[in-house]
Amino acid sequence: MRFAILGGLLVALVAPWFITSDSVLAIAIYGFMSAALAVSFNLIFGFTGQLSMFHAASFGVSAYVVTILVTSYGWNFWLAIPCALLLVVVLALFVGTICFRFKLKEFYFAVVTMAFSEVLRLITLNWNSVTNGSLGITVVDKPSLWTPWGSLTFSSGISWYYVTLVLLVVVYIVCQRVLASWIGQCLAAIRLNDLLGETLGIDVFKYKLISFAIGSALAGLVGAFYGFYAGFVEPHYLSIPLGLDIVAMVLLGGVNSLIGPVIGALMLTALPHVIELSAEFRIALYGAILIFVILVMPKGIMGLITSRKNAA
Amino acid sequence: MLLNIKNLTKRFGGLTAVSKVTFGIERGEIIGIFGPNGSGKTTTLSLIAGILKPSSGEIIWKDHDISALTPFQVAQQGLVKTFQNPQLFPELTVAEHMRIACHLHVKRALGVGRLRTLFGKSMTGDLENTLTRKIDQMLELCRLYKHRNDEAGALSYGGEKMLGVAMGMVCDPELLLLDEPASGLGHDEISNLDAVLRDLRTHGVTLCIIDHKVGFLGRLADRSIALHHGAIIASGTTADVLANDAVVTAYLGKKHA
Repeated sequence: MRFAILGGLLVALVAPWFITSDSVLAIAIYGFMSAALAVSFNLIFGFTGQLSMFHAASFGVSAYVVTILVTSYGWNFWLAIPCALLLVVVLALFVGTICFRFKLKEFYFAVVTMAFSEVLRLITLNWNSVTNGSLGITVVDKPSLWTPWGSLTFSSGISWYYVTLVLLVVVYIVCQRVLASWIGQCLAAIRLNDLLGETLGIDVFKYKLISFAIGSALAGLVGAFYGFYAGFVEPHYLSIPLGLDIVAMVLLGGVNSLIGPVIGALMLTALPHVIELSAEFRIALYGAILIFVILVMPKGIMGLITSRKNAA
Repeated sequence: MLLNIKNLTKRFGGLTAVSKVTFGIERGEIIGIFGPNGSGKTTTLSLIAGILKPSSGEIIWKDHDISALTPFQVAQQGLVKTFQNPQLFPELTVAEHMRIACHLHVKRALGVGRLRTLFGKSMTGDLENTLTRKIDQMLELCRLYKHRNDEAGALSYGGEKMLGVAMGMVCDPELLLLDEPASGLGHDEISNLDAVLRDLRTHGVTLCIIDHKVGFLGRLADRSIALHHGAIIASGTTADVLANDAVVTAYLGKKHA
């Protein structure tokens, strides 16, 4: 499995030399960012067992904060990111504390996080003076990075391809490290039987909160870059359908797997472009895939692969 | 006195499940709590373990009231409870269960040093060896060693209950609260459990065991209390409690007593 992942990364590294079409490159870039979102979401959902509907909110809030700090206040892009992440973590701790103190689980947790997420979306939609309401904010600046060979501005598709690939790798490695550490063991205990975990001395509340905060912060990291690539931020970034897209990616790729959500995200991002579809049909297709996956392969693509391997 | 319970009361709406229960546990002894179904035994244990919050009364553990603590805080204090219906982590093997149960041990050994595991450092070799040895020893003691790589769900019912005891033990408890460890076990499994619990006592663990099977606990417990309708109806040496008229009546009804 390790070799397959490294091989995939190698292919991704050299692929831009063979991709001539700008739209294919754009699909790959959106695919990487969706994959990073899905991987971070799976830390909370697949590995801790908490169906968070707050993920799109973390993503969107961070996109807005970075955009506003850069375009309205002239901040440096790289300085704005930690501020946005700090805000996202504070929000996640606030929402998480309320949900986990009251021991909200499964459906109840999903509904309450959805409500908080909706509150934030309505704020961005109605706080016209700052967020420009439903029109959103156009982002013309492109972040640049200082290198010993001069300043490198992320304007070309190729540069964004590598930026988002690095972003995905960073998010992936952070999640992998967390899961391989002692935190991962506590998260597994919580996912499988939190009452038993608690009586064995595990601070269930704290570890749920840690997972929720780390996952949300990583979503915020993706959001920080997203607006600058897309060229605009809008209230839709915080919407529930976006949160559901992420759920679909994880379910398709496979919960309880780190690489599964990457596969799911790349497939669901590419699919509508491979078979030309309008936005309405795309949502219908997402729904159909979700139903199919839940019924036929509840552990997603990775579940199929691993069960094949075990059977062989 | 290791644990001192004073006037412990728990009401669920109009029902008083535990009513002014007062008793103490000394270090190193085995305390039995008897009582027919619905007499408040499990509720009492859940109150001590922090799973339920008492309506009134005090739970004094080494001179500190622990009645407001959450279950994990109670476990950190050294009181660990097992479950009447075996609680497992689905999908995990017996050894992996034990690994998770070593949480407190690792926490005490490493403290904030656990942060290092985030940066690719696995646990230090010494601790790793200690844990493996500890887990193997405990599984050996609980006769589960040969199943260590099996999925816990594949164990027999008795095996699952024994795993519960083993998990409780690797938390290094000073007081282990066992909720009907013998219920649903066969004859051989009970004598096995009996041997294991006697072994545990020689390791210096204090045990508080509830059961409504009089025979098993009657042989094991040094002292006992008997509950009926949430209140203590007898306490003292196990033989005295079992011979007590009120206890016999509670179990068998007036006609047969």
